[in-house]
Amino acid sequence: MRRLFRTLGIVTAFLGLAAAPLAAQAQIKIGIVISMTGPAATLGLPQKNAIALMPKTMGGKTVEYITLDDASDPTNARRLVERLVTEDKVDLLMGPTISPSALAVIEVAGRSKTPIITFAAARSIILPMDDIRRWTYKTTINDDVFAAATVEHMKGKGAKSVGVIGFNDAYGESWASAFDAAAKAAGLNIVAAEKYNKNDTSVTAQVLKVVAARPDAVLVIGAGTPGVLPQATLRQRGYTGPIYQTTGVTTNDFLRVGGKDVEGAIIATGPLIVAHQLPDSNPAKKAAVEFADAYNKQYGEGSISAFPGFAWDGMLLAQAAIPMALQKAQPGTPQFRQALNDALENGKNVVTTSGLVSMSPESHVGFTPESLIFIQVKDNRWTYLPK
Amino acid sequence: MSASLVRAAGWFAVAVVFAVGGFVLPEFYVTLLNYIGLYSLVALGLVLLTGASGITSFGQAAFVGIGAYTTAVLSTHAGLSPWLGLAAGLGITLIVSVILGLLTLRLSGHYLPLGTICWSVSLYYIFGNIQAFGGQTGMMGIPPIELFGLTFDTGRRMYFLIWIFTLAALLVSDNVLHSRAGRAMRALKNNAQTAENFGVNGGAMRLWVFVYAALLAGLSGWLYAHLLRFVNPSPFGIAMSIEYLFMAVVGGAGHVWGAVLGSAVITILREFLQDAMPGILGRTGNFEIIFFGALIILLLQINRDRGFGALFDLYKRRPPSPSDHGLPAVARRSGDQPLLSVRGVSRRFGGLVAVDNVSFDVARGRIVALIGPNGAGKSTLFNLVTGLLALDAGEVWSNGSRIDRLRPHQIVGRGLARSYQHVVLVQSASVLENVMFGAYHRTRRGPLAAGLGIGGEEEHLTVTEAERQIRRVGLEKWMNEPAGNLALGQQRLVEIARALCAGPELLLLDEPAAGLRHAEKAELATLLRELRASGTSVLLVEHDMRFVMGVADEIVVLNFGCKLAHGSPTEIRRDPRVLEAYLGGSVK
Amino acid sequence: MLLTQDGLVNGAIYALLALALILVFTVTRIIFVPQGEFVTYGALTLALLQQGIVPATVLLLLAAGVMAAALELWSGLRSPHRRRSVTLAMLYTGYPALLSYSLYYHIGAPANVAAQVLVTLAIIVPLGPILYRVVFQPMANASVLVLLIAAVALHLVLMGGGLLAFGPEGGRTSPLIQANFDVGVMTVTGQSLATLAASMLLIAVLFLAFRHTLRGKALRATAVNSVGARLVGVSPETAGAICFTLAALVGAVSGILISSITTIYFDTGLLIALKGFIGAIMGALGSYPLGALGALVVGQIEAFSSFWWSAFKEAILFASILPILLWLSITHPATGDEE
Repeated sequence: MRRLFRTLGIVTAFLGLAAAPLAAQAQIKIGIVISMTGPAATLGLPQKNAIALMPKTMGGKTVEYITLDDASDPTNARRLVERLVTEDKVDLLMGPTISPSALAVIEVAGRSKTPIITFAAARSIILPMDDIRRWTYKTTINDDVFAAATVEHMKGKGAKSVGVIGFNDAYGESWASAFDAAAKAAGLNIVAAEKYNKNDTSVTAQVLKVVAARPDAVLVIGAGTPGVLPQATLRQRGYTGPIYQTTGVTTNDFLRVGGKDVEGAIIATGPLIVAHQLPDSNPAKKAAVEFADAYNKQYGEGSISAFPGFAWDGMLLAQAAIPMALQKAQPGTPQFRQALNDALENGKNVVTTSGLVSMSPESHVGFTPESLIFIQVKDNRWTYLPK
Repeated sequence: MSASLVRAAGWFAVAVVFAVGGFVLPEFYVTLLNYIGLYSLVALGLVLLTGASGITSFGQAAFVGIGAYTTAVLSTHAGLSPWLGLAAGLGITLIVSVILGLLTLRLSGHYLPLGTICWSVSLYYIFGNIQAFGGQTGMMGIPPIELFGLTFDTGRRMYFLIWIFTLAALLVSDNVLHSRAGRAMRALKNNAQTAENFGVNGGAMRLWVFVYAALLAGLSGWLYAHLLRFVNPSPFGIAMSIEYLFMAVVGGAGHVWGAVLGSAVITILREFLQDAMPGILGRTGNFEIIFFGALIILLLQINRDRGFGALFDLYKRRPPSPSDHGLPAVARRSGDQPLLSVRGVSRRFGGLVAVDNVSFDVARGRIVALIGPNGAGKSTLFNLVTGLLALDAGEVWSNGSRIDRLRPHQIVGRGLARSYQHVVLVQSASVLENVMFGAYHRTRRGPLAAGLGIGGEEEHLTVTEAERQIRRVGLEKWMNEPAGNLALGQQRLVEIARALCAGPELLLLDEPAAGLRHAEKAELATLLRELRASGTSVLLVEHDMRFVMGVADEIVVLNFGCKLAHGSPTEIRRDPRVLEAYLGGSVK
Repeated sequence: MLLTQDGLVNGAIYALLALALILVFTVTRIIFVPQGEFVTYGALTLALLQQGIVPATVLLLLAAGVMAAALELWSGLRSPHRRRSVTLAMLYTGYPALLSYSLYYHIGAPANVAAQVLVTLAIIVPLGPILYRVVFQPMANASVLVLLIAAVALHLVLMGGGLLAFGPEGGRTSPLIQANFDVGVMTVTGQSLATLAASMLLIAVLFLAFRHTLRGKALRATAVNSVGARLVGVSPETAGAICFTLAALVGAVSGILISSITTIYFDTGLLIALKGFIGAIMGALGSYPLGALGALVVGQIEAFSSFWWSAFKEAILFASILPILLWLSITHPATGDEE
């Protein structure tokens, strides 16, 4: 059997050699897997919009984007990524949108030695650093940084106890556990922790339980419009304390569906959503304004949210790294992918919509904690809250 | 012998093709084939469930989940060998499926799909909310499978493992379908009551198939977990269960290779649609879902649940060759007790009394005819005697023991076999196969033995027996024709042959002569007399009075559920009440 | 108390759906999984109308209508009822065409709430009979199993269509009734009262119509015996079409009622329908009062389990069907008389 596998290896290598000249066009291929359908379509569709705006050349080479849909399912993501690395022989992978998909695919990326820039949030995508994660990057900040900042903000408002109503999915779960840890560390007391589902027709029961615990502040963890229902129900049931939301809700639809029910929500997020309101000193302002304007122009005023930003930042990171890699090798070769990975890992002060990003062999996060800001819903608009 | 050699050669060739494919195919095809193999395993279970047995499950993905999560947890957290994970996963799947099956399979067919929908939604949230299982985000770092020092850590290596299991499962399932158990499943799907009348314990058989399908799904889950080395709840939800069912339907729920065809069509089509659809329509959306849904509806409208499986009808597996002798004769019970004793039996349907306090006996070696106008309760009486209906009052005895409390499938063991007023044959199956099913209760080979190819001699004996009975009713020319191709009268003869194949002491025939030509009726009469001579009794319902008067020793006349008269043909012919019931003596 | 009220409102919606499901099942033997899609279509169509957008569901109706007409002509032109099929085909295409023409070019989205509700119903309700014509009528004699698979396939098609028409984000509507009442310590929203009242009313109307009108009797006759019903002049096709109209009506009304209480998404339908199913199963898929009662119980289980153990709410809810099935399997063992 072992010999069989060896023969097999030789045959594959042979086929690979035969195919190599075909693949070695002077063109950079970027394979992207995002969730355009399924439950995470809310997050993935804006990313698809961002991808449509990406530049067609980088470092003087034409760039081909191959964008595929994993339907929010990790099995699909895995199959598509396998296809991208074996059939299309892409130089760089981007996506997936959600953490389960990302965790399912990074092994393929690492094994095939193809760098991957994910748009998903889970810490375990990039940590602990090992041979696989040498090749993985992400443009979202770790949830724990957001969570810690949110906890600080709550304490700044004098809160001593907090209630949590979170999504019963990967997003809600990872946020809730990060928030749990941050609150414990800061001595903030979590008096109620409830879960709800995107398709629930009512969260009254969960809200009642939270209200009964009389928290000084409430955190709602939801992505997109499903974040509305708990906040609306809280207000309806007479809760008057501050309500915090998470980056996930920073979409125009949230305001549309929420209307006056979501007035006053406080959110820790990246700078993109309120790009124009940022002080000029913010290093993210220029890139954020540029992208936000381009995006709004294409897809309608106010359509910008945090999600297309993750994809855009991935592109900005790649754009900075590709010229460096091109000096060492030609696209379509393993040497190019290695060079690209080195360039990504050693990128310093890359301008992104979330500030100046610096990577290191230890940290593959494309987001700087300093660029975290707070915004609030005022008059049904996102409003920058100065520190 | 040669038939099985050809078959073995065929399977060997398929195995060789797959093995060679594993070495020469490009990486991406191997990847696709891996998923097709995994999906085929699950769809295969559904082929047996839906196609053969006529029940279905929307919870197969949840069984895949059990298989995947069990091995993931055991091999990642506890550091146990994946092979232990396989054993544990299959064990848990077994327990869960038995419990679920017991709960739902006694109910009529549509509760199983509903029950499985609900339980799989339930399980999805349980997977997602247990932190040790990685919650909604999932678990990664599942170790690869190892065997004899070989590590299955690449897609290409897993390909061999996946397809060894898949081909083995295909072979086993094909064996099951072409065995005594397979005939019973098809009979069950065709008409549950008939199947029970020939000794099939419907509940137990359905449970077996359900558990088998669940185990295949669990196996697929185990392979899945070690192929992706990552699990999270989303591939085990209701959407995937539906997709598995679609694969089975597209492939044709009736042939084992349909499972592979269906999985391949859906997998490849999805890959293709992903590229083509946005190009055609210029925007993204759930076009695949719409497309698949529409495809399924269209297929169902055109071809019911047989999908593209009609293609496989070109390939017909040859029946096993006959041996030199048939099944051992059923031991005849001696004694002078009547073979059937109906005592004061009544049955009401709402306000209507269908059978009212009827009593009569059928002694050994007698032909008794049951006559009466339409609606007199003759067929109801048959159903009461064979256990399909419960009695409201009275008792039924056979050979000195009471049988009205028995379940239908136990009654054939007491020497009673029957035919039906409305012909109940598996129309697509051959005459031979239909008649072979009659011997169900005389044979013992279970689905497991059949699947593993053990105890095949019995099949040869059964063929011999069935061929003998088919010759007896004079249909040897049509032995390998699908039963549906025969004229209605001939189909009635097939039913008689099937009943004879059960080796009965008492044969209950419901209008056997209807649709027969004159000469055929004469042959039937000769057959019945032969049976009588060999000690078999016959109870028959018949409207053809000339036929009845010619063969019957005794006649029981029913009218409006009551026994009107009982006596020899001569006595009945003279009975004024009978003449009146038949509106002035058409009996002449 | 609040939980009971919350459970009651949801339960009332589930009860409506359970009734529709039982109705469809008893008459046509279809386990109508896409019932939930009528709810989401109703809710989201209204939500779009309130934003002043003419919803794309009109076009969906038009497309389905054209298909129905094509099928009708295909089968009808070879049968003796040629005139009837031509009339039907014209109805199938004419009505949606007229509706979409007037909505797109003349009226636009109405500003008045009552008109919005009417337009929503005018769009969604005809979808019922049209879908029946396209999907189920050609295989009305198939087994329960095949019909169920077709129903699931239709559910997927409608869900995909929903994503196209409404996008991935949810929709909410402003409450039809703004008033709130304070009863003791708790606030009762006018909308939830209205929901309760409307569902009760609809249930009562359906019940009475069934008992006392000729059509209702005909439907019940079909439910008992389709061959017999045909003999006395009720065609199963007509019965099926009526059933689906009612099912669509019930679904759309439920959607309109619930849309201001909660956010509805294109894929909400299945879960809502399944909860209705659990109610219907409690009624053994045959008894209307038991089904409605079961649905109310489902609403209560949901409310209380979300309060005590929200993470496992769905798990508890759907696992609660197991004891019911156990009870059913003891009391209603299969007689094996399905085909």
